[in-house]
Amino acid sequence: MGEPRVPERAVGSIPFDHALHGDSIGLDCAACHTGSRASANAFMPSKADCMDCHRLPLTENPGIETLDSMLAKADDRPWSHKRHLPDHVVFHHGVHAAAGVACADCHGRGYMQNRYGAELFNMQSCLKCHRGETFKEKGFKPAATYCAACHR
Amino acid sequence: MGMDRREFIKSCSLVAVMGLLFGCRKIPLEELAGDLPSLKRFEDEVKLALSQAKKTLDLVKVPTPGALKIPGASALNRFGMAIDLDACDGCGKCILACNLENNVPLVPDEDAARGRFMHWVDMRGSAPFMCVHCGNAPCERVCPTGAANHTPDGLSAMMYKRCTGSRFCGANCPVQARKFNFNDAQKLGLARQFNREVPLRDKGVMEKCSLCLHRLQNDRLKFKTSLTVDASAEEWRGRGVKTACAEACPKNAIIFGNWLDEKSPLVKLTKNRELYAPRELADLDPSVVFMRGRR
Repeated sequence: MGEPRVPERAVGSIPFDHALHGDSIGLDCAACHTGSRASANAFMPSKADCMDCHRLPLTENPGIETLDSMLAKADDRPWSHKRHLPDHVVFHHGVHAAAGVACADCHGRGYMQNRYGAELFNMQSCLKCHRGETFKEKGFKPAATYCAACHR
Repeated sequence: MGMDRREFIKSCSLVAVMGLLFGCRKIPLEELAGDLPSLKRFEDEVKLALSQAKKTLDLVKVPTPGALKIPGASALNRFGMAIDLDACDGCGKCILACNLENNVPLVPDEDAARGRFMHWVDMRGSAPFMCVHCGNAPCERVCPTGAANHTPDGLSAMMYKRCTGSRFCGANCPVQARKFNFNDAQKLGLARQFNREVPLRDKGVMEKCSLCLHRLQNDRLKFKTSLTVDASAEEWRGRGVKTACAEACPKNAIIFGNWLDEKSPLVKLTKNRELYAPRELADLDPSVVFMRGRR
């Protein structure tokens, strides 16, 4: 009823499937999301990054031809990600990765189970983990909890 | 009287040419943005502040700052500065550098006429003067919300989003190092974000020198992320970081560093010098001191 539901991805964009890339062929997240291991932001791949592999016919799957035509039509930057954090908050993605937090700890397996994405994320979730209340089984080192560690 | 046809056409074409010339003038992007104040206004305000600067500064000798005596203090880092009174000539470049680094807003003309600037660095006794980040800070003791608090590495930090504007801290600071945002600088077109690293402050919020907290934060994060490459690296000591004022000083009169790090330029350059602090602050364990004497 009413208006049709807005599709999550723009019509004609690339139907990307995390399961086909990470889980089945063992590709590391950082291969496409550059910067996630060491820099402040994790980036979304550009089309050139996709084409690095997809220039070669990689599988026998009949779907690959549809994909190739979609890739040919797609923008140079098919995906973008906007940060939700205000500018008085410092969140360094790479520091968390360097401290041994695995991608799936926060992002879940695949794209839909984002544990700490967008509206699920607030300062309490930061503090809980920094105080060592979440991820007890992982044995992370307790992290800084003074204000100026993350605020400016 | 009257205008003949020849003169009329002449004046018409003149107007057209003038219009074209104006239309083609290249307008810098920043001016197109509308309300943003020009860089020149910031420079002029610093000049005005310099002309109104207090001439005297009452200094007494203090010992070299040591480790902080607050709970949870770091045994490795205590950041601070030393201002070399023998080298400083009071040019005021540090003030402008600080304003641009920390997006310090302009003040309306009537405030400027009374010397009420937002500048984190003042000129007193022809030397730069800013928050000294007391180890035993009187401002933090009276903050009702905990917006003013101390970091383990010796900065008296200010959490703007926590500040409710009671101004108790400003009242309890013996040297008026804190500046209060009486005006909504963004709405009045007096604020400009020169540096994306530092957030703009809202109306009703206290602010002051942060010892370029964002530079220290960025350096610490950089250090931590490169740890994975070199696991043998020692602890973070903030080496290589400089505050904006120290960087801008043409005489190298402002030395930033870590009081607890033997390799820090601060420790090396304050050796064999006499350290001073304003009389009111001498008992409060200041992290920013003045130096004079043998070099």
